Amino acid sequence: MNGIGLDLPGLAPAAAGGVIVKTAAAGALSLAFGGAPLGTLLIARRMSLMGDALSHGILLGAAAAFLLAGRDPLALTVGALIAALVVTGLSSLLARTRRLPEDAAFAVVYLPALAAGVVLMSRKAGPEALEAMLFGAASALDRGGLVLAASAASVSLVALALFIRGFVAESVDPGFTRAEGAGGWLHLLFMMLVALNLVAGFRAFGALMTVALMMIPAAGARFWARGWAGQAGVAVLISAAASGAGLVVAARLGVEPGAVMTLCAAALFAGSGLFGVNGGVLVTLAGRRRLAGRAPVA
Amino acid sequence: MARIRICGLSLGYAGEPVIRGMDGAFAEGQATAVIGPNGAGKSTLIKALAGLIAPMAGVVTIEGASRRDIAYLAQDGGVDRDFPISVEDLVALGFERRLGLFGGVGVAERERLSTAIAAVGLTGLERRPIGALSGGQFQRALFARVMVQDAPVILLDEPFTGLDARTTAALGEVVRRWAGEGRTVLVALHDLDVARRLCGQALVFARQVVAWGPSPQTLTAESIERARALAEGWSGREAA
Repeated sequence: MNGIGLDLPGLAPAAAGGVIVKTAAAGALSLAFGGAPLGTLLIARRMSLMGDALSHGILLGAAAAFLLAGRDPLALTVGALIAALVVTGLSSLLARTRRLPEDAAFAVVYLPALAAGVVLMSRKAGPEALEAMLFGAASALDRGGLVLAASAASVSLVALALFIRGFVAESVDPGFTRAEGAGGWLHLLFMMLVALNLVAGFRAFGALMTVALMMIPAAGARFWARGWAGQAGVAVLISAAASGAGLVVAARLGVEPGAVMTLCAAALFAGSGLFGVNGGVLVTLAGRRRLAGRAPVA
Repeated sequence: MARIRICGLSLGYAGEPVIRGMDGAFAEGQATAVIGPNGAGKSTLIKALAGLIAPMAGVVTIEGASRRDIAYLAQDGGVDRDFPISVEDLVALGFERRLGLFGGVGVAERERLSTAIAAVGLTGLERRPIGALSGGQFQRALFARVMVQDAPVILLDEPFTGLDARTTAALGEVVRRWAGEGRTVLVALHDLDVARRLCGQALVFARQVVAWGPSPQTLTAESIERARALAEGWSGREAA
């Protein structure tokens, strides 16, 4: 199944051999560097669901672009980005009026966007195209897609380097940042970076799986580091490892890599939860045992 | 020195005014306690002065400083204490306005950072995650952030709520020092003793000005009783 990506006639991903796997590996690595640090911030600011919401929301844009311009990857990307901008902007606006909490505002906007995307795609393109958008088709990762993934990673890392103090301030204490006169546009910029990474990954690995590779490694990283920067670094490593392992296993099984990569990330998360030095199960148990050993003294 | 002047100020939420047509000016370079019963609109007033809520009518002018020269400490802090950030980094957020988004924290800032952390008694805890601080230590860190902001106008909304006597005394000393440095400080409080001790000026407030002036003349039993009577009036109406 080649989905709606750039077709490579007659080549299933598994059969496509080394070239596709290499391209996919390079794309996944880029996404790890761009997405995982953003995921760390999303989790730290309790906005894990926002990534999910955005990943659904971009489907409408991609579907509209698909109907207007067919399988043109550039059109799909631009459509998805516009949808992300609209979903983020509308829900931020709704939240700003303070009638709804931010996550509810997102839900109110992204679910209709997802629904409209599903209706559009099912009527005009058939279920395979929809499935490819949600779960990805590694064969869709052509040179253009790779350039996009690399650009998304570069833009994200540069923006993080430039604005990290603002992003952190806005996450830790939104009221303070607002009183300082920033806030609004920083938040929008941050959400656009998240959207850019989702868009870069969604054709190859699927909208749902890209967000998984952004969030699950970031969650696992919390078991290894206490500070934000350390967590971001570990999240990149977990994401890259999950992508690499996922690609190899998927090629063996002859299935789309997005889902397998997600499962690998989940396995690494479980490992982190078990062995992690920062609140991992084993460390906690060892600590309890030490305490229990001392207990008779009292 | 900065002077805050209020003219015909009406404030409210969802189109319902809480404060109507308030006039007056806060003494420059001094600490003013804003005293009033629950629901008196103290937080609303302070947020409006910080520029966080737009007036329904009237204006707030800040003479001798710009809108951006205000340090504001919210009542509940509004800080996500689970965020993975150290005490030092939290305090350093106070540099944001001075350095802009791109400026780096240099040697001079490092020095001010450690001076501020020492002034609130948190030396040695710089690298501790904020999630591992006690309530009192956390409030001390927020005071250090205000210190680092080095603003001519400082607005504190119930900064001592839930703190033990020792922390209240230590942070109260910081408030007095700010006023001594000629900063215009507003502190919403409900403890009259603390207000008398820390603030030369006081505003007794119950959705309207009840009394305003030097603390000894303002914080009288009569003005407090009047504010309470006004509060009973509106809480009765709202319950009905």
